[in-house]
Amino acid sequence: MTERQDDELIKRAQEGDRRAFEALLQGYYDAMFRMAFKWCGNRADAEDVTQNACIKLAHSLKSFRFEAAFTSWLYRLVINTAMDWRKANRKFVPLPESGHAGIAPGNAEKDMQHKEALAAVLALPEKEKAALLLVFSEGMTHAEAAGVMGVKESTVSWYIHEARKKLTGKERRHG
Amino acid sequence: MDEAQLKQILREYEVPAADDNAKKRAVNLALAEFDAAEKKGQKKFQGIPLLGRLMGSSTQKQRRTPMNRRLVYGGMATAMAVVLVCGISAQQIATRGYDKVMPDNIAGLESETFAPRKEHTAAQNKKEDLLRSRESDLRGGDSLTATERPESKNEFRTAVREKILPSAPAPMMRPPAESNVMAMDSIAGGRAAQGTMMYATPAIGIIDGEIIDPGYYRDAGRDQFGDFDENRIKTVGAEPVSTFSVDVDTVSYSFVRRQLNAGVLPQKDAVRVEEMINYFDYDYPLPETKEQPFRPSVTVIPSPWKEGNKLVHIGIKGYDIDADAQPRSNLVFLLDVSGSMNSPDKLPLLINSMKMLLDTLKPDDTVGIVVYAGAAGTVLEPTKVSDKAKILSALDNLSAGGGTAGAEGIRQAYQLAESGFDKEAVNRVILATDGDFNIGITNPEELKDFIERKRESGVFLSVLGFGQGNLNDRLMQELAQNGNGVAAYIDNLNEARKALVEEATSTLFPIAKDVKIQVEFNPATVAEYRLVGYETRHLNREDFNYDAVDAGDIGAGHSVTAIYEITLVGSGLRAVDDSRYAPAEQAKADANFSDEYAFLKIRYKLPDEDASKLITTPVTMENERRSLAKTACGPAENCLPDANDDVRFSIAVASFGQMLKGGKYVGAMTYDDVINMAQNGKGADEFGYRSEFIQLARLAKSAAVMEKQ
Repeated sequence: MTERQDDELIKRAQEGDRRAFEALLQGYYDAMFRMAFKWCGNRADAEDVTQNACIKLAHSLKSFRFEAAFTSWLYRLVINTAMDWRKANRKFVPLPESGHAGIAPGNAEKDMQHKEALAAVLALPEKEKAALLLVFSEGMTHAEAAGVMGVKESTVSWYIHEARKKLTGKERRHG
Repeated sequence: MDEAQLKQILREYEVPAADDNAKKRAVNLALAEFDAAEKKGQKKFQGIPLLGRLMGSSTQKQRRTPMNRRLVYGGMATAMAVVLVCGISAQQIATRGYDKVMPDNIAGLESETFAPRKEHTAAQNKKEDLLRSRESDLRGGDSLTATERPESKNEFRTAVREKILPSAPAPMMRPPAESNVMAMDSIAGGRAAQGTMMYATPAIGIIDGEIIDPGYYRDAGRDQFGDFDENRIKTVGAEPVSTFSVDVDTVSYSFVRRQLNAGVLPQKDAVRVEEMINYFDYDYPLPETKEQPFRPSVTVIPSPWKEGNKLVHIGIKGYDIDADAQPRSNLVFLLDVSGSMNSPDKLPLLINSMKMLLDTLKPDDTVGIVVYAGAAGTVLEPTKVSDKAKILSALDNLSAGGGTAGAEGIRQAYQLAESGFDKEAVNRVILATDGDFNIGITNPEELKDFIERKRESGVFLSVLGFGQGNLNDRLMQELAQNGNGVAAYIDNLNEARKALVEEATSTLFPIAKDVKIQVEFNPATVAEYRLVGYETRHLNREDFNYDAVDAGDIGAGHSVTAIYEITLVGSGLRAVDDSRYAPAEQAKADANFSDEYAFLKIRYKLPDEDASKLITTPVTMENERRSLAKTACGPAENCLPDANDDVRFSIAVASFGQMLKGGKYVGAMTYDDVINMAQNGKGADEFGYRSEFIQLARLAKSAAVMEKQ
């Protein structure tokens, strides 16, 4: 789908065109799932999150104003949904600081250190995690990530700095 | 790790391809939501919560103060003016948790975007969002059919991965194929598979640090149990009366079993000794008439935990309704079909359990089904069991995971139950979940009130817990207690059969409600006492005669056991010293009662009555048995001079439970002693439950050794 086609679809969906909305979902589900998976680290959670995000989209699409890229806007939706979902499902028990539970299945062949690193990233505070995933994993610039997160570019840089400090610091303590 | 490594790892973060069925489901649900939104027009526009949260946040405390509510309105108005043009009905604001989702701090607009939000705000908001889904038929199409039952471990997992919520029969928690076969056999041919339950649960995948398989939902460590301390030793002088509510739940035993089978000792708060004891069926003497729904049997025996102490063993057996006299059942199942139920030991197990139950119901009984996940919906209007095909097809279609039109899950379930309400019938909502209680009422207190009100209208609630890792045990218990029902934890088909089929009558047909037990000890003979278990069921002394105080219920055929450990006056074994300054008054024993240890009172109400009745019996030296040891004696015989098998076995279970809780009061008793005692009290053990217990004690023994290392 080209950007213009997408814009057209979004407009039609905003006006209530069911088929346009369906086409949008079909087109963007994979990207949403991808982001959700990176956030959650496992399929079941990611599917739940993506599903919730899709449902949310049915309502919130109308609030999209074409001021940012639709994908950035979607990222934001997914991340917010993921945070909600986490809260709804983790209730009072905090996430383990690190562990192996949150690693992608496809990574089984990767070495242990790799897994631990990912688990540590997944356990970061939400904003830092978001910044890190958007910039390092999705390859966004700090400015783009700032757009998604709705913060200043410098704030994104700061989150990343904090995250790095934690991750590399952790490593040192271990080793 | 250095930065380059981190970057590389994140760049290479692999994401598997999205699942087609999950996608289909999500798209369908979203479309249903879209349609609903269109139908409602702008009024129901849901963008606000999302944007609200994107834009600002503050601490929960602030939000809760009334003053901030005003700020919230202001903030919201501004936000709307700035960001979007929409209408929102005042009623909506007033009735839904607006303060939880609206920005109340415009200044924080930028920097606070990703501020963490408190758990319930986001959760409720999400649920509210989701529960508004309307309309659309999402069922059918993508379910596993019965013939596709996977044969090998890997295929099985693949299948689960591919078919999100399979309705295939019998994927037990034991993954290998032979376990499946075993499970199926055991339904048909009794409990042949019992006693060989040393299998690896999926959770082990995490325990040993290896990610075995992500194909189905798995989580661990989120099980929630209420904290409680073990009952302490009480002195008769200070507190001569002990009062508690009966408890026929069995969740604790099943949970403990699951943990032990996974090779770990259960968390202490998960162990409720009385539930472990009451898991087993005991052949206490039955009451003769229906008017007195149960009858207590009392035994006094030497304590195995402390030389010289005695145990007072109280067994109560409920009147059993014979099958022909059973009232009609009007059942509505409220099923959790959320993504987390996508695991062989959850939804598929639940579906199979329900099919088994179906076989035991009478043609006249009705079954309705409401599901909740992203959305709530009725998938089966109350249908007579004689129309079995319709019910089965509804069950088989559950896998599609879609809800249809409707209000919130729990209200809808009660509505269905009320629509088929029959005063003569047993009207019951059965909630099955793995811990996700987003059933429409998100505030636990409100939920409990709701269930309580419905209970008064004659619709009861039972709760079935599935899976592990996310189980909210405390809420399950509380809901079932408020709904005059039982909470059961189901981890395999055998358990499902026990909870739903064998105990169908007791689970479904209450013979007495608000059953309270009060024991008054005779200060002339008993110096100290300690109640084993029932910590969470403690009642105040005055509650006993106060009929408005809710207590546990007993169903047809249920048995309830309570055990006290007592220290006799003059035994020199007292744990608590007398006060130096206020010496205990020498108890003036009434000569008439000099052979009595205690006096047992049971208060209960018949299911459809509001005034309580009383049963009393003294605990005397006549109830005394010489020894716990085994002599040739059947379970039903009253075998003087020794305790009978049931007493022996229940005490073995009580010992085991207390050991799992830390063993503070069981003296030098070991797991081996438990095993011996249980062996001695095994009796006929028709269904193998007791053998399974012995197996668990062995597992606990090795798990305890492992833990020490």
